Amino acid sequence: MSAALDDTDRAESIRMIRDSAAAVAPPGGDLKRVRALRFTDPGYDRGTLRQMGEMGWIGLRVPEERGGAGLGMGEACALAEALGAGLAPEPLIPCALSAGLLAALDSAGPLDALLAGETVALTAWQERADTLDAPGTADAPRRFVPMASGADTFLVPVREGGKLALYAQPASGADVAIERTQDGGNLGTLRPNIGGAEKLAGDAEAALAAALDEAALATGAYLLGVMERAFAMTTDYLKTRQQFGRIIGTFQALQHRAADLSMQIALTRASVEAAAASLDAGATGDARRAVVSRAKARAAEASMLVTRGCVQLSGGIGYTDDYDVGLYLRKAMVLANQYGSAALHRRRFMALVPESDE
Amino acid sequence: MDAIAVPQPQELDGLDDEVFRQVVRQFLRDNYPEDLRNPPKRLHWDENKVWYHKLAEKGWLCPGWPKEHGGLGLSPAKQIILSEEYERHGVARTNDHGIVMLGPLVIRYGTEEQKQRFLPKILTGEHVWCQGYSEPNAGSDLAALRTEAVLDGDHYVVNGQKTWTTLATDANWIFLLVRTDKQAKKQEGISFLLVDMKSPGITVRPIINLELHDEFCEVFFDNVRVPKENLVGQPNKGWDMAKALLGFERIFIGAPRQSAYALSRLRTLADRMGVWDEADFQDRYARLRLDLEDLKALYGVYVAKLKRGEQLGPDVSMLKVIQTELFQRITDTMLEIGGENAGLLEPMEGNRDLNIGGLFIQARPATIYGGSNEIQRNILSKNVLGLPG
Repeated sequence: MSAALDDTDRAESIRMIRDSAAAVAPPGGDLKRVRALRFTDPGYDRGTLRQMGEMGWIGLRVPEERGGAGLGMGEACALAEALGAGLAPEPLIPCALSAGLLAALDSAGPLDALLAGETVALTAWQERADTLDAPGTADAPRRFVPMASGADTFLVPVREGGKLALYAQPASGADVAIERTQDGGNLGTLRPNIGGAEKLAGDAEAALAAALDEAALATGAYLLGVMERAFAMTTDYLKTRQQFGRIIGTFQALQHRAADLSMQIALTRASVEAAAASLDAGATGDARRAVVSRAKARAAEASMLVTRGCVQLSGGIGYTDDYDVGLYLRKAMVLANQYGSAALHRRRFMALVPESDE
Repeated sequence: MDAIAVPQPQELDGLDDEVFRQVVRQFLRDNYPEDLRNPPKRLHWDENKVWYHKLAEKGWLCPGWPKEHGGLGLSPAKQIILSEEYERHGVARTNDHGIVMLGPLVIRYGTEEQKQRFLPKILTGEHVWCQGYSEPNAGSDLAALRTEAVLDGDHYVVNGQKTWTTLATDANWIFLLVRTDKQAKKQEGISFLLVDMKSPGITVRPIINLELHDEFCEVFFDNVRVPKENLVGQPNKGWDMAKALLGFERIFIGAPRQSAYALSRLRTLADRMGVWDEADFQDRYARLRLDLEDLKALYGVYVAKLKRGEQLGPDVSMLKVIQTELFQRITDTMLEIGGENAGLLEPMEGNRDLNIGGLFIQARPATIYGGSNEIQRNILSKNVLGLPG
């Protein structure tokens, strides 16, 4: 188990993950692949998702005895960050969420095919906007299923007695409405039909809550990659663009803006990495949830600040679709509120970690 | 509401301001096409020409032009009322560069022959104009522009590239700032030239913007021959002429209408998301609303100056900064409370009033165009506060 790794091994393990991520999201960022997939169906490349499965990424956090890699949240966040820098549109985080859920059940359903990247199983848990609660209302529409247009199976949690049962409903024939998103992906609304679905044995309650937290943290890490790369492009621009006979990066007003953004990125990295370390050190319960909320609140807010700031610092060119900074802004617009907005996570943090009355 | 009589166009400038406002409302109810209200994107000529021709037919096309040239001869204060009411009604902008930019410039600086030649064709919509100012390396530093016009007999030969040219694909004429003297100080070697877009050597390439709309274009000039009588004013005086028309533009960008529109959408969204009654949202909303109220008051100060016939100073820059940044903060708030809906490409629930991502993106360039907010702050610190540098 990864938590037993010492610091040196952990650093090496994270470095290896970053290296392998380069296969899908090349550092230095050619976004031709990403652009070609925007506003298409399913909005990502199934072959690339299969490759992610083969590299063990979908089951990165799944224990080895269930067919996963059994690695830590540090590795998962390093991977998500690299994919965010390259804007990889494949639904790795939603698939990993489903994998975590299935691995915790008595009957694992499509887990093996999901881990291999052959089946796309998406968990359709959400009944309203901006929530981390899954009430499991049998017939309620499930909203905001990420990249739903490419799903093979929907995993639908349904409250039965004191338990949260999980149904695997084939996507084929399912009532799904797809809406496109600003980043070129999509969100689905599923009207579940559990009559035609397979019920998987076991209680998904605790596993879903844990998996949602990990998805929230991984999304924070993805956003960290998004803001890092957008900011790197922007500082390059500030170092080369000339106006008034000077490199614009020599103007102090712009220097200070850039410095401000860099501090938000530093805070996000510190927060995300601290949360991942805390999970890997075995944090449970409120402590686990609190560090996740801290990181996601920061990442959501900072990613909007940074990508907005990058568009402004890029001037007119930043407002063109041809210039990549805009792609990062659009990605942040979609992910900032996924698995909980900044406001939701701030509220949750305060509820979990009340100020002590001295 | 009872209909009120709309007077003849030449009588409008004599109305009391409040009466005028009511007349404009009536005019819009009578004439504005319902399906063009509040378009989510800037309309192309094909889509808005119905309205352009209607305005032309009614004699309302050119509010700021003197009556002898076919305008309404409205005071700046009445023009502002008109624009407020257009905004309130959700009137789409037409391809208005001929009306707003070129017409006033030709009226002020053009020869009698140029007035006869160009103004009537704006009034009929035969000439649709676009503006060629910015260049890839002359944005904030516009005076660094390099598109050059070299005199060759009776023609100027134009070479270079313009960018951010709004709706150039719709236009059949373009007005340009071109360099005619490379030796002079950079502001002093610039001339103002009118070019038929059908001239050989012109290429137009649309730019897709973050709204995924082809509103802007690049325009390339390759040995384009332009009759020398198409130069307006004195050679090498184009910069001063163009600049003289900019102050009035800045008060329009500073008008509170975009922020007011966005705030009303924020309210609708907050209701829909169920956060309206939450104390922390009420505080955030109150802050934005007070910012809007105070912006309106400050805007009123500038409108009052115009009413008294005073010139606006460089301090009008603050209106642009305050308005555009408020507009952005309102749309930022929409994004923050919209949950996953914030990432949708189309308006939420098919309701145009709940176009979270669309409005957020629309608010982005407001701090960049018309002189970026960084440039406006430079103007405030140097020309208003008198700080050195």
